[in-house]
Amino acid sequence: MGMFDQGFDAIIIGAGHNGMALAGYLAKSGWSVAVLERRTEEGGGLCTEEVTEPNFLHNMHSNYHPLVGICPVYDDLELTENGVEYGHPDVQMGSIFADGTALTIHTDMQKTAASFARFSQKDADTWMRLWDEVSGYMDLMVRTLMYAPPIALNDITRALASWGVEDKSEFLTARLRSMSVAEFLDKHFENDRIKAMLAFHAAICAYQPHVKGLAVSYPVLLGKIANWHVCKGGSHRLAHALMRVIVKAGGRVFPQVPVTQIVVEGGRAVGVMTPDGFVRAHKLVASSIDVNQTFETLLEPGLVPERTRREVAEVKYQDASLFNVHVAMNGLPRYKAAAFDPAIDRAWILNIGFESLADFEHEFSLVRSGRLPERPRLNAAVNSLYDPTDAPEGKATGLLRVFAPFALEAGGPEGWGAVARQYGQVALDRWCDLMVDDDARSIVRRFATESPHEISQKMINYRFGDWMVGRIHPKNLLEHRPTDELAEYRTPIPGLYLCGASQHPHGYITFAPGYNALGVIAEDMGIDKWWDRV
Amino acid sequence: MSGTEHDVVIIGGGHHGLTCAAYLARAGVDVCILEGRHEWGGAVYTAEVTAPGFCHNIHANFMEFLHIMPFFADFDLPSLGARTIHPEIQAGMAFRDGRPPVLIYQSDMIEETAKSFAVYSKRDADAWRELKAKANMFELVMAAALYTPPAKWNQSESLPNPMLATQSSFSMFGLDEEMAFKTVRDCIDEYFEADEVRALLYRVAIEFAAPSLEWPGSGYFFLFACLFMPGCWRMMVGGTHRLNGAMVTACIKEGVTMRESSRVKRILLEGGRAAGVELVDGKRVLARRAVVSAVGLKDTLLDMVGAAHLSDYTRRRATHFKEGPDQVLGSVAMALHEPPKYKSARWDPGIDRAWYQVVGYDSAKDVLDYCRAGHCDRVPELPAAAVWVNSLWDATQAPAGKHNLTGWYFFPKASALSEAEWEEVRATYNDKFLRLYGEFAPNMTRENVIADYLHTPLDQERGMRMREGDFGHGAMSLDQVMGLRPFAGVAHHGTEIPGLYLAGSCMHPGGGVTAACGYNAVKVLCQDLELPPVWQNPRRFY
Repeated sequence: MGMFDQGFDAIIIGAGHNGMALAGYLAKSGWSVAVLERRTEEGGGLCTEEVTEPNFLHNMHSNYHPLVGICPVYDDLELTENGVEYGHPDVQMGSIFADGTALTIHTDMQKTAASFARFSQKDADTWMRLWDEVSGYMDLMVRTLMYAPPIALNDITRALASWGVEDKSEFLTARLRSMSVAEFLDKHFENDRIKAMLAFHAAICAYQPHVKGLAVSYPVLLGKIANWHVCKGGSHRLAHALMRVIVKAGGRVFPQVPVTQIVVEGGRAVGVMTPDGFVRAHKLVASSIDVNQTFETLLEPGLVPERTRREVAEVKYQDASLFNVHVAMNGLPRYKAAAFDPAIDRAWILNIGFESLADFEHEFSLVRSGRLPERPRLNAAVNSLYDPTDAPEGKATGLLRVFAPFALEAGGPEGWGAVARQYGQVALDRWCDLMVDDDARSIVRRFATESPHEISQKMINYRFGDWMVGRIHPKNLLEHRPTDELAEYRTPIPGLYLCGASQHPHGYITFAPGYNALGVIAEDMGIDKWWDRV
Repeated sequence: MSGTEHDVVIIGGGHHGLTCAAYLARAGVDVCILEGRHEWGGAVYTAEVTAPGFCHNIHANFMEFLHIMPFFADFDLPSLGARTIHPEIQAGMAFRDGRPPVLIYQSDMIEETAKSFAVYSKRDADAWRELKAKANMFELVMAAALYTPPAKWNQSESLPNPMLATQSSFSMFGLDEEMAFKTVRDCIDEYFEADEVRALLYRVAIEFAAPSLEWPGSGYFFLFACLFMPGCWRMMVGGTHRLNGAMVTACIKEGVTMRESSRVKRILLEGGRAAGVELVDGKRVLARRAVVSAVGLKDTLLDMVGAAHLSDYTRRRATHFKEGPDQVLGSVAMALHEPPKYKSARWDPGIDRAWYQVVGYDSAKDVLDYCRAGHCDRVPELPAAAVWVNSLWDATQAPAGKHNLTGWYFFPKASALSEAEWEEVRATYNDKFLRLYGEFAPNMTRENVIADYLHTPLDQERGMRMREGDFGHGAMSLDQVMGLRPFAGVAHHGTEIPGLYLAGSCMHPGGGVTAACGYNAVKVLCQDLELPPVWQNPRRFY
């Protein structure tokens, strides 16, 4: 029998983690489900490849997993039982500064405070008060702001005001909605480097520190500053576990089956076209890819209402993508700055080059103009510190990332072809300069680069190389993401839902868009919410 | 990990391990399969090694056994996503001077192939008509030979003799039995006279593990690699790795516990019996009934069990098991703007639509010299290859309008060159190939290549744990086939260590995507563990 003959209750377009999680829940609810994936392998951004040499596992896209132990999906779908293993680095983040000093953020917050205190005792004290506060309301915030459909910003503000937030919290205020992360940090902290370290945390979550209005989500981000996890054996392993969840529950995942059209009959989405022909969806089609593909490519123009078409065409993507350098290394790096703070050699996510808030402003404005920083500021991670199995024994796997323009001033997106290799070397040199001399000379075996243009070609829903699939900006968050009309995961076409990173809250391994779409679908279709027992 | 004890623990999630796991689970056994890499399927593998969207099968490409493979039918793999394409023109040889190509068509298109051979020799056309018709007739005999484990052997008995089966095969074909003792080259030369036809058959012969074209006693491979195989070649839609996707889905459906990124360090012995495994991170997975290893012979016996726990005989035979110099490949991958257009196409445009395109040789002697180089630890001076452009049949394997070329060089063993020398080969050999290629297909210029990549034997060894880069996990010479593979004492899948079984490509019938080593191990395990014979299928006699 052909694999598509019977059709499926639900067809999910795109086998990224959001689509697969939704498929897992629906399959466990007794639905027949198929996930159709354009690429040769399931997982979307959960993509691990040996791009330098065999046995060096490079996470091409998703590397830092922030919501392990917080996100309900891990437990609901029993991902640990299905083979996912995480490491939780005890030294989560660090900054190495040009003068040889370093800052470290530990899971043990007393140690973090001690590191901060070497730069400013006042800031260390402020940090501990801030940390205590956000830890206190973290669960509530995550539950209501991430794992539920978006709440309008005005409603959030009103709720905070009526609760009397200004009297009860030193840090939360109704004014956060108009402040940038940088302004929040300037208000509460005094030391440039501490501010840079904390702003770096926002930046790697795609929250550009100088964008007005993003301070409103910043406390939630800070609450996760010590929850970065490394997926052992490569991030792709999470995709394997999701696949097992789906198939065990009777669902199917079909990579290399690109959907070419969403088929609408009588105004309702009833299936999809593929190179293998029509596949019927008895109950719904859920798209986990970007809204431009969904509405502009996969649906016939006549089927998309004027308002939807207009608003989708206006969706903005991030103006800073990433340039990745994947490194096969002869061992773990040792930094000169370890003389100042030995913990820096064990810090997982490293800030190299951002030393003040002004540095972010400078860097992102350069990137917006399509230029490459001569001395790129890096975000660097060596997963082998916490997962030695990602490289041959005694060796290590490294990742360098640079915020970078999708289109270069000289040459546009394709211009990357001519400069990528050389720019990779520049980034590597900057990194190696910080290591003790022996390491600096001999630690790199091979490296491979991945430009924003290549990212956009490989992961075509990362439009303009935007790994968040939609910019992080007040105009494109909460009830505005991706558009006012589409924010609730439903579309004007009955039977067609949106469940990918284009939706609230955003990209990253949060599973929240898929989880929230599930809630909406459950309400519309009368599915018993077995996962939502209080 | 849900419980660290299972009935059966399988080491290695290549296609043999997956086969074994799926059948045993279907027999009601609690199975856990452990894979060292982050990805399943071993060499059943596809990767975008050149540029985004270009899928390259840098290991297995020719799915020539799917129509006889029990796993494919028993688990209804097409319904799980394993779809195939059977290109009409299976193989073709192009020539530099643009003379007519030599083409081999699907198995039942004997006349078309004969017509192509007849351009160079009427006698060769007749020989193909006669021999291929017989090969088609005896296909199930060959299938049974592949999918039946060699008989159990005791040291007190006389040794199994692979020649007996080979001789009877020749006699079944109505050919002189003595030919079984000859070389593959002798056989090709005896039945085919045109140099162009010989050249193509030489190259086709080495593609499926034919031990050196010039080793006596390899005549069997003439029947197998030259007559049976070309015609049966199928490709997986979406790339070879999709076969793995379907196999993995089958395993999950049957309830197999699957753990990737779980490399086994050693096999645990308890009272001399295989009792489980220990992983490199120290975790233990215990096996109540059996440990089945679907990885390499030396990896299993010498590294994971340890020489100290083996008898002298087993240690000697395992230590001296040979890898290479045949079956050692360098894989070339190129992302192309347009597919190759051969000069020879002016005689027969079929060459541009042949799946397996042999390019770079002007004569049969060129192919012989090419093979001899590898045997003398040298990279062939003539940078010839056989390539396929799967995007001609399956548009999903490359970006719209573009093409994915992948191919094989035959190279010396991984240990023949230093790491630096292999890097030099990686940096230069594709360019040499391309310069030669342009003389056969003028559009194959640097400008037509978007990006390229070369996977060396050293990469094969390190990445897939194929020692010496030998894709068959052990040479297929007369002393290492059938009842002698990998050596007589373990050819029946059990080992001298109770509870430890072998199921990888080091077993009969060797490398290639047959799923036979795993399937044959299942037959033995069903008997030894007194399981229901779930491998039996009323529509199949093997």
